[in-house]
Amino acid sequence: MVTLNVNGARREVNVPDNTPLLYVLRNDLELIGPQFGCGLAQCGACAVLVDGKEVRSCVKSVASVANKEITTLEGLPARWAKQKGLSAEEAKNTLHPVQQAWIEEQTPQCGFCQNGMMIKATELLESNPHPSIVQIKEAFTTSGPSPNLCRCGTYVAIMEAVQHAAEIMAKGGK
Amino acid sequence: MATTKIPANVAAASLSRRQFVKAGGALVVGFGLVGPELLKGDTPKPTVLKNSLDAALPSSWIEIHPNNTVLIRTGKPDFGQGTTFTAYRQIVADELSVPFEAITTVVNGDTDRTPDGSGAFDFLGHGTPNIRKAAAYTYQALLDLSSERLGVPKDKLTVKDGVVSGGDKSISYGDLVKDRQLKLTIPVAGDLTSIFGLAVMGDPPMKPVSEYTVIGKSFKNSITSSKVAAKETWATDVRLPGMLHARIVHPKTLGSKLVSAGALDKIRFPNSQVIVKANLVGVVAVTEWEAIQAANQVAGTTKWTEWKGLPGSAKLQQHLKEEADWKAAPVTKGGVNKGDVDPVLTSAHKKHSATYHMPYMKHAPIGPTMAVGDVKPDGTVHIHTHNQNPQALRGEIAKMLGISADLVIVHTYPGPGHYGRSNGGNAGAEDEAVILSQALGKPVRVQWMRPDDLQWSTQSPAAFSEIQIAIDEKGKMAAYQADHYMPAMQDDRLIGAVLAGLPTMPAPDVHNDFITSTVNNISDPWTYAPVPNVMERGHGTFQVGQKSSPLAVGLRDHSMRTPVQYQQNYPRELAMSEAAALAGADAIQFRMDHATEERAIGVLKAVRDASGWDTRPSPRAVATGATPLRGRGVSLMFRSGTYWACVCQIAVTPGTGAIKVEKYTVAVDPGIVINPDQLKRQVQGGAVMGISIALLEELTFDESGITQRNWMNYPILTMADVPEINVVLLHNPKVGAYGGGSEAANALAAPAIAAALHDATGKILRRLPLKPAYVLEALKA
Repeated sequence: MVTLNVNGARREVNVPDNTPLLYVLRNDLELIGPQFGCGLAQCGACAVLVDGKEVRSCVKSVASVANKEITTLEGLPARWAKQKGLSAEEAKNTLHPVQQAWIEEQTPQCGFCQNGMMIKATELLESNPHPSIVQIKEAFTTSGPSPNLCRCGTYVAIMEAVQHAAEIMAKGGK
Repeated sequence: MATTKIPANVAAASLSRRQFVKAGGALVVGFGLVGPELLKGDTPKPTVLKNSLDAALPSSWIEIHPNNTVLIRTGKPDFGQGTTFTAYRQIVADELSVPFEAITTVVNGDTDRTPDGSGAFDFLGHGTPNIRKAAAYTYQALLDLSSERLGVPKDKLTVKDGVVSGGDKSISYGDLVKDRQLKLTIPVAGDLTSIFGLAVMGDPPMKPVSEYTVIGKSFKNSITSSKVAAKETWATDVRLPGMLHARIVHPKTLGSKLVSAGALDKIRFPNSQVIVKANLVGVVAVTEWEAIQAANQVAGTTKWTEWKGLPGSAKLQQHLKEEADWKAAPVTKGGVNKGDVDPVLTSAHKKHSATYHMPYMKHAPIGPTMAVGDVKPDGTVHIHTHNQNPQALRGEIAKMLGISADLVIVHTYPGPGHYGRSNGGNAGAEDEAVILSQALGKPVRVQWMRPDDLQWSTQSPAAFSEIQIAIDEKGKMAAYQADHYMPAMQDDRLIGAVLAGLPTMPAPDVHNDFITSTVNNISDPWTYAPVPNVMERGHGTFQVGQKSSPLAVGLRDHSMRTPVQYQQNYPRELAMSEAAALAGADAIQFRMDHATEERAIGVLKAVRDASGWDTRPSPRAVATGATPLRGRGVSLMFRSGTYWACVCQIAVTPGTGAIKVEKYTVAVDPGIVINPDQLKRQVQGGAVMGISIALLEELTFDESGITQRNWMNYPILTMADVPEINVVLLHNPKVGAYGGGSEAANALAAPAIAAALHDATGKILRRLPLKPAYVLEALKA
């Protein structure tokens, strides 16, 4: 039995300790934001935040993240609401600024990689609220275990969306 | 906007899917209208399969509800372009004279809930997609009905926002259809489960371009919100009650047969089992992690025969040139061949003659292919997957099982784009999921792992072309000759069925329908009309390894974005830049001097202006020193009604051979631009994939099979290498139609980058990809 802290809730799962977190999230906890891309930490599709850092859940054993704070794509709105001290009612009707920006900029094509892109963007903006293009490129290329890969080629849209998300966050989420 | 929304409880998702449609999808008034005068001629009606909609009924395409909302259906699944959620709604809205927002539901892909089949390609149907014609028929019928209800002649009626007015009376579409059951049959033709599906026939009157109010505006893609908010059900999320997880142990080589399947370690993997059918080995378990581990354990002790029937990628081009059987298919000729090239080439004032080489490339979806198969006790076969052509898959699965297509239902969901791989019906895993489900009597989810996806999927075929161009004394092209050589483009056989020894369509052969034939057709429309002598020939053959593999497999090929045309446009456009240099002319001016089509000249001018192109002959410099050298190149293409011109400005570092694209400018004239923002995003994406394939992508293989297993050895472009990308959209309504937009952009970069390298360094490299080692070698020579 492993106890996880996922999106602010305690979840107990009965799985072997070496099970990669990705399969636990998707199959046991029905959190479908993270996707299986390579199983090798080479693409970023499976990314989640663990204690605020982007982690590739496909290679991270579930035991290694026990009792750490895990945030998936589903948990981004609540993470933002908590950071901004929004009421429960407000929180229910909000998206994280990164998600808002992704919609307003119409960033995805197929969208399969975008879970990881939004997780990476959140990690970046929490430490650097106004990243330059060079810093955005660094974040999505060299800061993680591998570059965050997009086969549809939405990198330009991602860069624009990160900058737009920074603007939304600077305005407090509106 | 409801796109068949699915509850958050993914375990119940697939079961509740149809129920939800009933519950949430607004009660549907059976809407159909009489209008026999609309039927032009007597088109024989295709048989309607069970578990299918009748494409002859307008209500199978478009439902108008009493609350004035509209539902549309299309067999074409979305593959990320968003066309069915944006452009299709805009097209229908204008044909029906309703607001964009009135179309609240788009149903696409599922074989039991859409009428027409065909695939996620050519969405805009050269200006007249099926859904547009269905809307046009519906609009005429609505006018007839209104005329009758209002007592006003049809030609005195006007429609705005779904309200029909005439005289001093008016009625909404919703009120018009309330409590009415009327009949109209629209003419359709074709074969539902073929690659092209059904086509709406006839010639209904359509809205003039001048009356478009919805087309031309940048509406957002409605599915984006649910994907971004993690509320969309992807194919990867489907979980059925009792579903088992499976992995496939694929053969050791592309020609291996099974000697013995490895024994499963039942102590470590008590809830797993091995299923063997001929050469197909599947490992099935209750949990996904156990299936992965058990499959790895079984793979380690499974024995296969050896096979060495491939030339290896190092010798690929030599093999294609010297060993491949180019007599396997008749030589094809281009539609614009004219004059007599031979004497002109022989006596040319100046002559360009060169061979161009293109590698195999992978579609390389971000997620490997997967499917859930569910063979039910009642004999129906359900497949849940991400697929470009679900009706074609339906036909293939029926053939594999020897059952009627009536019994096969394909449910489609969003998934990782794979850019053409399944446009003929399969991407891999679908058949294996069905075979395992049938063996076990339970739903089975087959997920390919990254090595499966690189090594057992199809690839975009390698090719080479021999081009000759004669330049006369005035610096004009007097002759153009191209011989394009390429193995069969499209192998739509189900690979799991091939391994299991079950029936499939035949391997590519000259006797097959043209799409899976070995014949190589000329597919790059000629854009230089004034050239007096033109000869284009296509040479086809079997897939490499196909004839010698005991499995008849080898390197299976499949169309990938701009198929065949890419393989022919790259050599043509690079050769054009070389010819311009030979003539001492500027590469853009040279193209304009050899074009008469106003739109071709228009995109060339636009890309010249937007890129800051300096008009002069190439090359500018020769390679010296360690500082980056800069150059620029251009390319031109006409595809699916759209003209494209691209300029790439690059920097190449002589010391390393590394090319960096600094600026990519593209001008696009599709005629009418339906949705500027969406088209711009599609083109930006294509630009990035184009730079990726030009600089990085090449399949590697040894004598037995593909040697790449992951993103480390099949790299694609990363964000760090994305240049400034400038998309210039030329809205050109006088064309009167909209051309396709989403796939051609990726073909333009390679010839422009190669020409830019020549401009920068004076060296021409005619083999792709332009990797640093290859560039460095040329610069040192």
